[in-house]
Amino acid sequence: MIRQLADSPTRRIYTPNIQMDAEHAPGPDDTASDATESTQSVDSAESLAESTPRLGVSLAAATVAALVLLPLIWLVRLAFDVGLSEALALSLRPQTLEVFANSAALVVAVTAASILVGVPLAYLTVRTDLPFRRFWTVAVSLPLVIPSYIGAFAFVTAFGPQGALQRLLEPLGVQSLPRLYGLGGATLVLTLYTYPYVYITTRAALKSMDTTLVEAARTLRHTRWEAFRRVTLPQIRPAVAAGSLLVALYTLSDFGTPAIMRFDAFTRVIFVEFNAFGRDFAALLSLQLVAVTLLILAAESRIRGDEQVYGGGRATDRVRLGRWKLPALGLCGSVAGLALVVPLAVLGTWFFRGASDVGSETLAFDISYVLNSVGVAAATAAVAAVFAFPVAYIAAHHRGKVATLTERATYVGYAVPGVVIGLALVYLGTSYAQPIYQTLYLLVFAYVVRFLPQAVGSLRASFLRVDPKLPEAARTLGRTPSGAFRSVTLPLVAPGLFGGMALVFLTTMKELPATLFLAPTGFETLVTRVWSAYSQGYFGRAAVPALILLAVSGLSMLVIVSQEGYDVK
Amino acid sequence: MERNDTRRLSRRRLVAAGVTAGITGLAGCNDILGSGSGGGGTDNSSQSIGQIGSGRSPFGDRSIEGGTSMAAMPALSGELTVYSGRGEALVGELVGFIDDLYDDFSVQVRYAGSSDLVNQILTEGDGSPADVFYSVNAGSLGTLAEEGRTSALPDDVLELVRDEFQDPDGQWTGTSGRARTIPYNTDQWSESDIPTDISAFPDTERFADEVGWAPTYGSFQAFVTAMRVLRGDEETRQWLQGMLDLGVQEYSDEFLVCQAIADGEISVGFANHYYIQRILAGRGQETPLATAFTNGDAGSIFNVAGACTLNTSDKQELGANFVRHLLSAEAQDYFARETFEYPLVSGVDPVGDLPRIDELNPPQGIDLTELADLEATVDLMRDVGVL
Repeated sequence: MIRQLADSPTRRIYTPNIQMDAEHAPGPDDTASDATESTQSVDSAESLAESTPRLGVSLAAATVAALVLLPLIWLVRLAFDVGLSEALALSLRPQTLEVFANSAALVVAVTAASILVGVPLAYLTVRTDLPFRRFWTVAVSLPLVIPSYIGAFAFVTAFGPQGALQRLLEPLGVQSLPRLYGLGGATLVLTLYTYPYVYITTRAALKSMDTTLVEAARTLRHTRWEAFRRVTLPQIRPAVAAGSLLVALYTLSDFGTPAIMRFDAFTRVIFVEFNAFGRDFAALLSLQLVAVTLLILAAESRIRGDEQVYGGGRATDRVRLGRWKLPALGLCGSVAGLALVVPLAVLGTWFFRGASDVGSETLAFDISYVLNSVGVAAATAAVAAVFAFPVAYIAAHHRGKVATLTERATYVGYAVPGVVIGLALVYLGTSYAQPIYQTLYLLVFAYVVRFLPQAVGSLRASFLRVDPKLPEAARTLGRTPSGAFRSVTLPLVAPGLFGGMALVFLTTMKELPATLFLAPTGFETLVTRVWSAYSQGYFGRAAVPALILLAVSGLSMLVIVSQEGYDVK
Repeated sequence: MERNDTRRLSRRRLVAAGVTAGITGLAGCNDILGSGSGGGGTDNSSQSIGQIGSGRSPFGDRSIEGGTSMAAMPALSGELTVYSGRGEALVGELVGFIDDLYDDFSVQVRYAGSSDLVNQILTEGDGSPADVFYSVNAGSLGTLAEEGRTSALPDDVLELVRDEFQDPDGQWTGTSGRARTIPYNTDQWSESDIPTDISAFPDTERFADEVGWAPTYGSFQAFVTAMRVLRGDEETRQWLQGMLDLGVQEYSDEFLVCQAIADGEISVGFANHYYIQRILAGRGQETPLATAFTNGDAGSIFNVAGACTLNTSDKQELGANFVRHLLSAEAQDYFARETFEYPLVSGVDPVGDLPRIDELNPPQGIDLTELADLEATVDLMRDVGVL
């Protein structure tokens, strides 16, 4: 059904916003390959939307929002244990304010850099005749699956003042490389591992764009750049904003990367408190992080602007790169090279060095790690899809405050460090849900709390791109509201849903802190294996599970891509 | 060939241990060996308990000497949940060995960071599934004891280890030790360049921008705590400030500190002794990295990894007997060979060119539980701007 629709003209016109792939290749064959039942159903007549089960959906959305906000209860409860004066003193002391400013700078820098990397890559892989386009499409999205602390470690090892590169260059008289540490280094590493959020969302928007508009602009003697700025940019702005939001919140909540890059971020203060068993202070600081998150969410709401564009449409020939081909390949190659090859090479070096792995035989590889990883990630993607549906639907169809708040609420869990969410669920689990504590149920729930917004954002954008006239038309043809939803809306948002699920799947594959707290004892995943080896300094042993993590994730990407009817031409 | 010899040797020792432990011990031993090896003869059974792993270490072969064999310890049976702050790479083989030794014993281990697990146990409250907590440091154990979450270990477990390496109230015991050391780059300094007094470091101008530390790391915070106990808050504050003024370089953990020293990125630092050994084992003995010690001050404290049983567990006896196994001759030898730590049971020596435990010169007048007071330390470090 979905497949059929994917090729139908209807879908070509109303392509949802976020999808991994569903290439609109120009060409004679796919103009009207098969007019399907949905197109037909659109053609008959009757009346429409008022009977949609709005109340049920609203209730479902509210329930989801309440569920994913549950962990905050623990934070608030603990934070109250801190006396008011102490709380103020801690919050306002110069060091807190300084790391606060540091975090803000990092968030701004990483977000800006991710846009500068992600948008051009999306444009190149969607709109141009870039050689090996399909390969690059997958390759440049893969950095998403590398835990950023692994990336950071690899960069320090390779490009540190006396790292591997310096040792290579030593015969040439290079005594020391410029320091990679600090804001610059942290920005570089975080950008390389988070830009795919922008890349993926932007790609989807570019695909569904009506490119005849660009041509119109060109015939009006706009240069290519002007056409991009005045036509393309406004159309993809909401998608870029959605991706940037994920980047910004990820950066805000990341522990490992700033620590390894020796940059003092706000999360470090939380980390220090937790290590000194000051859980109450850690909770208080986490709430401050939540407050910042709310600010960022509000900012993004303003930037993304009016999204009610049911646009999309005909895609014409790809832009010929001509003499820009080499620079374009250079960009793709250097991004993928830095983000993928550097960590793999570093882990590989350690793998072959081998001798340091005395006593690490227990870290030998087992196929169950792969199955466990893929299993929980797939389950999480499925649950996140179900949870995201009512929230995204309400958010897309209602402009009201409640709908907006419901949707924004799902982002909070994403912006709180995983260790905090993990402990909050330890509390809720042992206090109120003992039977499911340290079972896969609670683990999957924890993942959903952390990653739901990735599915919500993607799906919401898809709903926005469905012209309400279509389900209405189906209703006029005698479909029940749910029938119209099933046969018209659902197929139209399916690619966006897949895209969202893919993001959730990939990020769940690499989630660590909540896994360590909440997985059933003895339940090992690829990423817990990477951590076990890495945290004890057995980097060689980390190479194998890290490589497999990358391979499995890459395969999953290919599956997703083929699911969405990627054209192989 | 060598391997067989080692085995035979350890079997002889094992038998000797069984004999000295008396008839019951020997009977227990036979019982264990019979079931552990799947009903094999005596030859098989000797394989199931000799040395854990290969018996090799990067610093040369060795065999078990001294201590009480697992064979002379009460058999384990039932299911046990251990929260381990010690990594699987370090202790997984040991735990697996104990698990395999008994047919009707199975142990589930949850591996995570020690302080994360303490937070987890405290947050879990009465609902904690953990029976035993195995920690990388005394501070985490002390925190759990202070919060009233531990139960006293039996005297015959406690007496295996010297008093100074365990809780005075018997709430936890050390299982292996680590010394605070000064790793330095031998291309840049000789041992005599390294001050033997920790308080001399801030004034050592030649170390400007050359010193590395990891202030967020628990062992470092324990070291600062020791300095507070020994010299008072004010002197500690001045020391920290002095190090900042000297241009100390911050790293996220002490392995990275040692790696940076071996690379020549910096040339001296503060770290636990085994990080140095691990890098030497990995890169070879010619690596320009060596160990120095300060003399009888906070810079040379001796901390322990250890274990406790949790009072919310309904398997007190099994838990205590598991801890006992961590103090067996086999386990102590394993720590020395595989994790490069100091065995705590007398008669088992450390590896490499490390001084023996009696030759170390840790400060007097401080006990390990005092190192648990991290909160005041963190406050102080934060005040100075180190954290």
